[in-house]
Amino acid sequence: MSTYTGLYYGVKPVRRRAFTFGQAVLLVFLLGMAAFMLLPLVFVVVNALKPIDELLLYPPRFWVQRPTLANFGDLVLASSALTVPFIRYVFNSVFVTVTVVGLTILVGSMAAYALSNKHRWPGQELFFTLVVSALMFAPEVTSIPRYLIVNRLGWIDHYWALIIPPLASTYAVFLMKQFIDQVPREIIEASIIDGATDWTIFWKIIMPFAQSAWATLGITSFVATWNDAFSPLIFTRTEVMKTLPLMLQTIGGGIARAGAGAAATFLMIFPPIIIFTFLQSRVVESMAYSGIKS
Amino acid sequence: MSSQVEARPIRPRRLRIPLHTQQAIMGYLFISPWIVGFLVFLAYPLVQSFWLSFNNLENLVNFQIKYIGLANYIEAFLIDVRFLPMLYTVVRNSFIDVPLIIVFSLFTAIVVNQKLPGQGIFRSIFFLPVVISSGLVVRELFGQYQAETGGSPIVRGIDVPTVILLVGPEFARTVFDLINRLALVLWRTGVQILLFLAGLQGISSTLYEAARVDGASEWEKFWKITLPMISPIILLVAIYTIVDSFTDIFNPILDYIKNLAFAGQFRMGYAAALGWIYFVVVFLMMGLVFWIGQRHTFYAGER
Repeated sequence: MSTYTGLYYGVKPVRRRAFTFGQAVLLVFLLGMAAFMLLPLVFVVVNALKPIDELLLYPPRFWVQRPTLANFGDLVLASSALTVPFIRYVFNSVFVTVTVVGLTILVGSMAAYALSNKHRWPGQELFFTLVVSALMFAPEVTSIPRYLIVNRLGWIDHYWALIIPPLASTYAVFLMKQFIDQVPREIIEASIIDGATDWTIFWKIIMPFAQSAWATLGITSFVATWNDAFSPLIFTRTEVMKTLPLMLQTIGGGIARAGAGAAATFLMIFPPIIIFTFLQSRVVESMAYSGIKS
Repeated sequence: MSSQVEARPIRPRRLRIPLHTQQAIMGYLFISPWIVGFLVFLAYPLVQSFWLSFNNLENLVNFQIKYIGLANYIEAFLIDVRFLPMLYTVVRNSFIDVPLIIVFSLFTAIVVNQKLPGQGIFRSIFFLPVVISSGLVVRELFGQYQAETGGSPIVRGIDVPTVILLVGPEFARTVFDLINRLALVLWRTGVQILLFLAGLQGISSTLYEAARVDGASEWEKFWKITLPMISPIILLVAIYTIVDSFTDIFNPILDYIKNLAFAGQFRMGYAAALGWIYFVVVFLMMGLVFWIGQRHTFYAGER
């Protein structure tokens, strides 16, 4: 083989071979990782199939011994005993989550655009510092005063209480700013010279460029809002306003309903997975914009 | 298109606002929706919880509070035997976890960003734990079952050879702890991998092309192009990871605070004080990260 290398150099580049070998190593690494990362999903699926005695077993077992679909029947039974139709919880969850995700992206990106180096307005630096410091405060700590404010606004048991407070997300602003800062300044300047307003620049340049950023933000915000059982717990009173996670916590709470709870957890993880698969392609597609020269 | 070009003034006569002022006004307009939310739902609650930390809740029904000065803070440092050790453990753990998560997720993101078969599937799989584990599942997986005999369900899931139990319970516990920690760290990297991927997508391919023409190796490309170009994202990921680990449901401090405030005792004043001490500690850590970050971060837009 080695005697021919000189000859092969001309015909096919060495790069190609090195790439394939590296690829194989990486693939093995990825497969191992993937197996490990799949464990929680497997656990959720397996749990949903466990009969009640296996669910309550101590010490717990990972795999199921006698798989059954009884848990789903339990879930249907448990939800038919509710005073409000099941679909109402689904609607509440979907409506709140979609609104929150959309508005978080919009409000956060606009604020990030204003805070990014494209603008110079008095107080900008100070404000950014403020954003970053607010980032560190665990939401639990402010939950009492926040409740009092929502109460005073008269939003208790309204959609407002579930939608508006999470919009002021410091994480959203920080994330978007880190990405918007990467937009080449020349493009912005060129558009200003061409007479573009900030509004046009924001929609025509910033948002397409930061596509992977807001797709990422959309995914994380969806997951957080969809799974959040805490804010509906403190901000809603009547059954008609409750969202899925809170309702599922209630029906899956007792030991007798552990099976229904496991089945519910299984069903709950699907919407975020679908959203993720949908939005993550945007993270890839933004490749098209990376051709912009800086 | 008009064929004739007429000579006319560049700007029609109207009220002229200097560009600076225009930009400032637009800046304020863009940020105002967020500012309103920030002031009402973050800044004001923060101030109020600060005030609450110097008070004691006397009556829950009408939220009557009584000023007690520094008593809550004195209790936290001198009387409460659980708080400080807990705080120490949390800080120590994050010093280990955060760099691990950053390095691991950057590496994975770069690997997944290669043109490999099934790359989309890998991306999805790596993100799955985030989708699932933000809820009750993680609690069940690790639960209270840890250590002792068989370890948590996760340890049993990957079927750790029972041989290690024969070596001695001490050794077995260490191994189980290690697996648990590793799982927790790896499962928390989904968002970070996604952030890095998004960052990698933003790097102009012309840079790599130029480097290839100049004969740079993959290794050189990583250090000279990839790393500087995604340094703002590294800072972002570092901050995100710290915030995430300090506000995570596994964090014993938050559990402790929440229980103090809501579970029966309603010691909201003391809970607020602990919250603020915690805040200052996290603030110092973030300050450290920012201080390091500012010196090594490269912003392409600022050139």
